[in-house]
Formats: sequence, structure tokens, C-alpha cells
Amino acid sequence: MSPTEIHQLNLGPITAHAFNKDRSQVAICPNNNEVHVYQKSGKGWNLIHALVEHDKLVTSIDWAPESNQLVTCSQDRNAYVWTFDSVTNKWKPTLVLLRINRAATFVRWSPNENKFAVASGARCIAICYFDEENDWWTSKHLKKPIRSTVLSLDWHPNNVLLAAGCADFKARVFSAFVKGVDQKPPPTPWGDKLPFNTICGEFSNDSSGWIHSVSFSPSGDALAFSGHDSQICIVYAGGESQNIIRTTSLPYLSLLWITEEKLIAAGHDCVPVLFEKQGQLWKFSKVIDVGKKKVVTEATAFNKFQGWDSKGIREGSKETELNTIHQNTITSIRPYQGSRNDISYISSSGIDGKLVVWDLK
Amino acid sequence: MSYRSTDVDILDEDQLFQHELFTFAGGSELEPDVALKNVQAKGVDVRNFLTRGNTEKALTTAIENPPYGSNTTDAKDQNTKIVMEVLNSLKATDVSSIVKNLTLDQQDILMKYIYRGMASPELYNSAVLLNWHEKLTEVAGVGCIVRVTTDRRTV
Repeated sequence: MSPTEIHQLNLGPITAHAFNKDRSQVAICPNNNEVHVYQKSGKGWNLIHALVEHDKLVTSIDWAPESNQLVTCSQDRNAYVWTFDSVTNKWKPTLVLLRINRAATFVRWSPNENKFAVASGARCIAICYFDEENDWWTSKHLKKPIRSTVLSLDWHPNNVLLAAGCADFKARVFSAFVKGVDQKPPPTPWGDKLPFNTICGEFSNDSSGWIHSVSFSPSGDALAFSGHDSQICIVYAGGESQNIIRTTSLPYLSLLWITEEKLIAAGHDCVPVLFEKQGQLWKFSKVIDVGKKKVVTEATAFNKFQGWDSKGIREGSKETELNTIHQNTITSIRPYQGSRNDISYISSSGIDGKLVVWDLK
Repeated sequence: MSYRSTDVDILDEDQLFQHELFTFAGGSELEPDVALKNVQAKGVDVRNFLTRGNTEKALTTAIENPPYGSNTTDAKDQNTKIVMEVLNSLKATDVSSIVKNLTLDQQDILMKYIYRGMASPELYNSAVLLNWHEKLTEVAGVGCIVRVTTDRRTV
């Protein structure tokens, strides 16, 4: 594989992106009510399907690798599960009964792909599963004790526990066990009796910012969350102490564990950043953006006048480009290649309309 | 705008109030009298440190345990005045080194007071505050500023 790949898929923002299993196709939302599916061809991407069923902005997309189903959710308060019909070569939408009265903000398939969770502004999370009897997707709500919009979700590898980051400054771990759909899970450090809506953990960062992102570690024993107060917290199930990394940079909107000891964060700083566990403590490690470091040349008088002559502008006077690959906030980072506990490539998308695949090695 | 004149949130039985957010943020409400008394006592300590020339201690005392809450306006005003006195009495050349010695918590609180002071330019000297702001941002970064804007525990 080549090193870091950069694809400009939209001139405006990309609100969400999701790859299929073999990474030959990607679904993105170009900041409107449509979902576009692109097929890889050579080094570029060709638009092959436009999925038009929502009537407001699509906020989140997830692609189930094994069952090859897409799920999308939108500010129109609906979610659709899309299945590909190879005979007609079309994606067929199925409406999901979410029963929410505010925008849906975030959606993720569970690891076993038999459920998915939809976060919303209605202070609840809809856990959706397929009801064989009635032949549709139905949902149960996780309600208490959520007091504000849920902004992000992440599934525990055991298919039952779900982490939620919320605008009431709390990150919570819930049980999303659905009778008849799930097998009884083995005990975890988060708890062993797990009926639906059990709260297995409630965490807050001590200087209060709404939680932008939550992420379970590969084993599921640790949870990381980042808030709008530019802090990242890492908590271990059953552990007393919270690791708080108070950063000097702008807030992080998306988190992803690449190993049990390494965490990538990205957000308003436009670059993915690596945090590492050193001993018992979590620390900032490095910035992952070596793509385009500006060559700093000696500012001799000759260079200066040569610059004026060739560009017609003074160096630095019309600087609008950032010294990073992403030119605006990164809103989402997702695994691209590697196993869950050793991810070697990640993909990111953001407000600048770029989709970037990063080589982490 | 006219359609905004109706407060539709009133009809929502499950609405979220400002004071709840303050509690979620880890704040606890103080009695106005108690808060004011605490701040006045603090003011005496701070002045003592200043007269003895122990400016660093004066600063850390002035910014510790700020009177957070929704009904402590008097205490907040008083505390801001004390912090501003300290900031004004320090030499501009010492600012960098003092800021570096503060803990992360203290840096965040100091930044809150700097913004609080700059909000009333008629009372406090903005030039001095801008110097503090510059030096503090060099050390604590923009993260510190973001934390001031997000934190519901205002000074």
C-alpha cells in the first residue's frame, strides 16, 4: 500500500464516511440529504450510486462489513438500512422505526451486525434490531439518565455494552442487551448482570465540556472520551482513577484506539495526534501529519525578492493554506486496515471535503 | 425575531436548566453571604502577601477556590477586584516565569479571570491583561482558552 492518500471528494464538508469491507467502495455524505457511494478506480474514486431517501442532512453513515448493509441517519429523525440488490444494481432502503422527535446524530452497527444504535437530540439512544415477525427494523430506547443530546457512540466488542458521549458533559457505558437477539454475554470488568439500560459507568471530565467522542479500547476494558474542553480522559473498567490529558490544543472530535496502548485523536486542529500509554500514565506522543511540512528556507534578501518576482506576492502576506493535509476540522476518523488491536491505516474526513487514508507505520 | 418570542421549551417537561448544567459541571452553589465573607478573608491574606513582597503566593491565593455559582455576584466581583490588584502590582517582566510555575488548574482559573477583567475595560487595565493573556497562552496554549469558554463554573 502506498503511504498517505488524499482524495478530495467534495468541495464542501463531508459529514460522514464509511468504507465497505474490502475498501473498494466508500459511502460519504456531501453535506446534504444524499449519500454518495464511490467505487475505487486506480488512484481515484468514481461516483456510482446516489442514495436519496432522507430529506435533511445525513449526519452519520456506517457500513456493516460482513452483511454489506449500510445504515444512515439524518436530521429528518429517520434512519434507513440499505441493502444492495445486485440484480437491479441498486441500493434498497428500509425505514427504521426510531420513534424520536429530534434529529438523529450518530449511528453505528454492533460488532455482530445484528443491531445498531442511533444517537439523537431527543435525549435517548435507539437500539435497533430486526423484528422477524413483523419484517422490519424496530427499536428500544436507552433513556435514563441522559439529559441532553447524545453526540457519539461506540460498541464494546462483546456486542452488548455501548458507550455514549453526551452534551450533558457525561460519557456513559450502557447495556444494550436485547432479549431474543443477544446471547447472554460473559462477565466483563464493567459488570456481569447486564439487563437492558443498566448503567455500567458514568464519567465526566472535571472541567466540563460536552463529550464529542467516545471510544472503547480493543479489549473493551478501557474507555476514552474527549470533550469540548480540549481534554482526553481514559478510564479503566473497575479502576478508581481517571487519566486526564489536558491538552494545549483545540478540542478533539474523534477518537480511535489503534492498539491497547495507543490512541489517535483528531479534531479542530486539523491533524491526527497520537497519545501513548507510558508506564501508568497517558501522554501526548506525536502529531501524525508528515505529508506536507513546509520547507523553511533561509530568508535571504535574494530569496525574498525572487519570491516577489515569481509569485507577485510577499511571502506570508496572502497565506491562506494551512501547513497540514486537512485544511479544516477533522470530524471523523475510522479504522482502515489492520486488526482491531493493531490498526495500521486509518481514514479521516472533515469539513474541507477531503478523505485521507493515513499510514501509521 | 418574532417567532422566537414564544419560549417553546417551557412546554417541554424534560427541559434542561442552566443550574443543572452547572451541577453536571461539578459546581456546587454557595450561600451569597458565606461566599462574600470567604472572599473578603481571602482579600486580607492576599494584601498581606503583597505587602511582604510574596507576589507569587498572593496570586495563587487570589485565584484559589473562586466563588462559582449563580447567586454569588458580589463575591465574584470582589474576587475579580482582588485578582486584578495582584495582576496590576506585578512587574511585566516577571509574568512569564510566574505563569510557568502555576499548575494546570491554576492556569485555567487565571485565564478565566483575565477574560473576566477584559470584559470590563472601564474598570481594569486591558493593556496589563493582554500582556498576561499573551504570556499565559504561550504556556497553556489555546486549549486553556477553550476551557474558559466551555466551563460553566464562571468567575
